[in-house]
Amino acid sequence: MTYNFGISRLDELIGDIGGGTNIMVIGPPMSGKDDIINIVAYHGLIDNNAAVIVSTREPGTNVLEWFGHHDTNIPMDHIGIVDCVTRTLGFGAPDTENIKMASSPVDLTGIGVKISQFFEHFWMDLQLRKTRLCINSLSTILMYSNLPTVFRFLHVFTGRIKAANALGVYVIEDGMHDDKTIVTLKQLFDGMIEIREGEAGYQIRAVGLTPKPTPWFDYEIDGVNIILRG
Amino acid sequence: MIETGIPKLDDYLLGGIPEGKSLVYYIYPGVEGNVFGMQTMYHTVSNGRYGVYVASSTDPRMIREQFDEFGWNTDECGDRFIIVDAFSGLIGADSRERYVVSDPEDVNDLTQCIKQAMEDLDGPGVVVFESLSTIMDLCGESETLDAIEEWNQYAMLYDHAMVYNFTAWPYSEDTLLHIKEDICNSAISVGGISERVIFGQYFGILKADWMDVPRKCVLFKIVRPGGIRVYIPKILVTGPFNAGKSTFVHALSNRAVSVDRLGTTIALDHGHIDYRGFTADIFGTPGQERFDPIVKLLSGEAMGVFLVLDSTNAADFVRGKRMLEITMSFGLPIVIIANKQDLQGALTPEEIRKKLSMPTNVPIMPVIATNRDGVFEAFETLVDMVMEVD
Repeated sequence: MTYNFGISRLDELIGDIGGGTNIMVIGPPMSGKDDIINIVAYHGLIDNNAAVIVSTREPGTNVLEWFGHHDTNIPMDHIGIVDCVTRTLGFGAPDTENIKMASSPVDLTGIGVKISQFFEHFWMDLQLRKTRLCINSLSTILMYSNLPTVFRFLHVFTGRIKAANALGVYVIEDGMHDDKTIVTLKQLFDGMIEIREGEAGYQIRAVGLTPKPTPWFDYEIDGVNIILRG
Repeated sequence: MIETGIPKLDDYLLGGIPEGKSLVYYIYPGVEGNVFGMQTMYHTVSNGRYGVYVASSTDPRMIREQFDEFGWNTDECGDRFIIVDAFSGLIGADSRERYVVSDPEDVNDLTQCIKQAMEDLDGPGVVVFESLSTIMDLCGESETLDAIEEWNQYAMLYDHAMVYNFTAWPYSEDTLLHIKEDICNSAISVGGISERVIFGQYFGILKADWMDVPRKCVLFKIVRPGGIRVYIPKILVTGPFNAGKSTFVHALSNRAVSVDRLGTTIALDHGHIDYRGFTADIFGTPGQERFDPIVKLLSGEAMGVFLVLDSTNAADFVRGKRMLEITMSFGLPIVIIANKQDLQGALTPEEIRKKLSMPTNVPIMPVIATNRDGVFEAFETLVDMVMEVD
């Protein structure tokens, strides 16, 4: 069981990513990480994967709209969003087929339950054997909790990703956390997608998924495609 | 005793939690176990007692909505439903609650609030912690463990029962052991059955220091509205042709479907029942001999069996017994349904027992499935038998 990002040149360099792989996406603010993680989920959806997205910054409806806006033909019933925002804003929105509400980013227990429920639904009810879990972002969770708490949470869920042969992708803001935090969290991941600011914009590369890091590529996001240059 | 309100759990705990004692729901990550504490809270206040709910990861307004989702109207409980708000301070939000922890990361601040709430109650009640693990994350493991001991001792003074929802994240071994074995008078394990993903949930008693612990594990489901339901994944209904199996399945079920031809079941009946804290899926077999290969397939992994007999047709009893053999039901809990008791010539359950040479530990229940007479009594009997199996 294998996966790819849907970022063509990176995928060619990396090759297939094995099931059970956990990947950190780290980059500076405003570098398009939200789009990148949605695009990774999107390319899974068009390949008949399920996508579970934990959103700590955008209400679930906005995330769902992103997918509907970019492609009306994707199987929307394969998307599950754990919304950690809406109830924090004081809106008592009920769960829907696509969106399950967590109480807040503090509520790691609740977030974990909702993730598990989507995994069960996709595996048991829809018989989907490939699932992508995208957590956007760990930085928000770290703002409300502390490093040991988030580490324990990730320790459990990176393990679940391995057990389910799924793909886990976790976003973290560069420059927002100290080195100790990043180094501690890195232990849990099999590889990284790194983003940095270059002379002509942002650049991207993959680390840990091949014997040597891939080269840095300038990139541009165009709808559901990430175009690499250089 | 303060009842937990969880089906079967109160039976196993000999009535519930003794006043002044503590209970921890020890929940495995990813399992929806926090409903246990919520159900205990609501059950207590709806029975006229006081309840204090310590909110540590959810806005109190949202907590009330969460209770509403289960059909538990907290407004009806008036001032017996009390929230200690240990969340709003964390995100800098205002609170309308009477008890507010200004700094949820300070365990002393929390303790002061909880003690004040306990003192103010007009009688023994229950103090439920939404998420002990969140408190531990915010205040520290050892600090929280010390505080739990203090809270439990304080509760004893006022005869309150303490109930903790605790998610067993990978804390230190010592902490987990302490929570599971030492710090509370009782511990209930709430776990998940997993292979690749969690696809089933169960609870069982790990410890209760006022009794001998029964070694039981109970599957459950959570329904909205409703809450926790003991779940029996498969109850088999079998018996000879024309005994009334399909009628029995439909009489018992909230919803049911049959695969039949001209009124005769040719594949299966399937029904789902949600009754008095129990939920079960019911599978009915065809009765004609030519379908016996299907019967064998249908009967695997059943947890209990109804053998439906037409009480007026003793000639088919042998076939009924034969169907128990085909379904490999011997050894499972069995209840025999003496159906069609309203018809002339119907044998009594005792007459049927003699004809079948059935031992007395197999209940034979008089039933008229067409008007549901006796069907739920039979269900309760079978469920009790299933729950008694170790």
